[in-house]
Amino acid sequence: MILEALAQVFTLSNMLMIFIGLVVGMIIGCVPGLSVMLGIILMLPITYQMHDPATAIILLLAVYVGGMYGGSISAITLNTPGTNSAIATTFDGYPLAKKGKVKKALDTSLFASVCGGLISAILLLVCASFITKLVAGFTSVEYFSMGILGISLIAGVSGNSLPKSIISGMLGLLMACIGMDAVTGVTRYSFGTSVLKYGIDLLPAMIALIALTQVVQKLRDFRLSGGKLDDANKIDREGITRKERRSIIPAILRSSAVASILGAMPGVGGGVAQFLCYSEARRTSKHPEEFGKGSLEGIAAAESSNNAVVGSAMIPLLTLGIPGDGVTALLLGAFVLHGITPGPTMFTKQGVMAYTIILGCLIANILLFPIGLAMTRGVAKIVEVRYTYLAPVIIMFCFAGSFAATGNTKELILCAACLIFSYILTILDIDNTPLMLGMILEDIMEKNFVTASMAYDRDYTIFFRRPISLVILILTILLLVSLMKMNKKIEALNQKQIEEMKKEHEQQDVA
Amino acid sequence: MGSTHFLKGWFNMKFKIKTNLWSGIIMGAISLLMLILMPYQVRVPAYDSGAPSPRIIPGVCLVIMLVFSLVLIFQSLVLKKEKIVEFDWEKEKPAILLIALLCAYVALMITVGFIAASAIIFIIILAYCGERKPFIYIFVIAVAIGIYFLFKMVFNVSLPSGMFF
Repeated sequence: MILEALAQVFTLSNMLMIFIGLVVGMIIGCVPGLSVMLGIILMLPITYQMHDPATAIILLLAVYVGGMYGGSISAITLNTPGTNSAIATTFDGYPLAKKGKVKKALDTSLFASVCGGLISAILLLVCASFITKLVAGFTSVEYFSMGILGISLIAGVSGNSLPKSIISGMLGLLMACIGMDAVTGVTRYSFGTSVLKYGIDLLPAMIALIALTQVVQKLRDFRLSGGKLDDANKIDREGITRKERRSIIPAILRSSAVASILGAMPGVGGGVAQFLCYSEARRTSKHPEEFGKGSLEGIAAAESSNNAVVGSAMIPLLTLGIPGDGVTALLLGAFVLHGITPGPTMFTKQGVMAYTIILGCLIANILLFPIGLAMTRGVAKIVEVRYTYLAPVIIMFCFAGSFAATGNTKELILCAACLIFSYILTILDIDNTPLMLGMILEDIMEKNFVTASMAYDRDYTIFFRRPISLVILILTILLLVSLMKMNKKIEALNQKQIEEMKKEHEQQDVA
Repeated sequence: MGSTHFLKGWFNMKFKIKTNLWSGIIMGAISLLMLILMPYQVRVPAYDSGAPSPRIIPGVCLVIMLVFSLVLIFQSLVLKKEKIVEFDWEKEKPAILLIALLCAYVALMITVGFIAASAIIFIIILAYCGERKPFIYIFVIAVAIGIYFLFKMVFNVSLPSGMFF
């Protein structure tokens, strides 16, 4: 199966998509305030036209991989992380850049990103078939319970108030319920309007909730700051030496291992892994005193960790169908839009495609190296371009993309409505990641719910009576409680680390 | 921009929003309203196909929402656990204006088409953001035309061209 997939990956269109994805990802990831999620959303409408769903997913994965590296570019040149996963990169990346060694920092970051990504992609390849064998006995009852697990975990770790996040997740499920019910043909909450009769499409909603919301916020900041730009450090020519490269390998290996394990746990995600890896690298380093002052090991630890999360975050998504964070939730949305349900059945029924996607992820990581080497300089320039060039392009693309979802103008109206709704949620301090996941999962959950209920003659206690399902539900509560406790601890630790580094940087600036 | 003298004093205010309390009240009201409306908005199918009632999933979601809204209100009023967000009109005005402009963009797109709507709205947005360079304006209009034809030629999607053409 893997050999067949290997033949499928190396097509001209796949390679082209990986290239486009990496470059777009690097650019979006590099611009502070625009997240990897936005990059993936922008690419989604384009994938509509693709015949092979695998190609579509590979494109989106390439954006993810590129974005994770791209975040480090502005972290190093501007001291502003391009994405949340690159915060730890600023710890050492910026001091090194201050010393004029920008290229060295960027090279380290690229090398570490590629290594981290590769290690986790290989792990994904090895683990995927193993895990799918474990869960092969799952029926619709278990899948429904898995959906509950997924939403609960995301609600538990996003935002800082559990009740708010749960409400957000429920809102998402509700929004997806609106319109014609696929099984009974009953319309739900359409309030007699034709706009709501066919439901709220996933794409316009995601575009409005994530992409447009981000762009509006950034435009607002632009207006408030009067369009001032931070001074970027110039990129010099002195790259990383072979000896230096060898010296950072232990840090890379350790971080990749830690981050891969963390990334595979649903509900943890990339933002968390970087800090743990950074402090772990500092603890085990031969030169811990250099950390925070421009240590190559520090950059390597932070960057390899956030790229290592990409591959391992795909493990629960592909094998169990539950996403671990916002980005993987979006990827799940992409799967759904292309009519694929991730999970063990994907490996048995569409095995070649599953492996094509995994191999695509692997190749995207390999190609990141040459493309990163060639394009970093150009991408870094984009940060210096005024945001007023970028924003209109993104906004137009967003609206055009949401229109393209069905070709109906109602999508545009829904898009605007969701944007207003998302703004109200921001004011109320409600995180919209669980909402998005709820919208995406509703379709899968309801399908499994209906199948399970019909199979067991509407006996709803079945979800508690089937042993595996019961275990999943109990696990949901246990994981939720422990993850929330862990996240709180880690959050405090990270905050301490960020403060410490700020002080360190200030001291250096004075000196 | 749009606010008149009369409104200015009112709009210069800073609010402190008790987000737990207000989230609880708003979301609780929404879920309660939706639950009350359920018999009218979600009809039970005329014949029994053996499938579970279409009301179950939205119903369960609404009840959970209602419960956690009450939890939020309880947290705020009884436990005094509150997350206060300061709503500074000066800072939020640009965001609200931009969202309003994007809504106008949608309305225009449906009536006069994608290219014309983009040209009108983005000229306003750019002017509002304080852009003075003429090149940016030309660039934006060119991009609008470019995206229109990109979607038409490459993705086979005809973006709205307006009811007048």
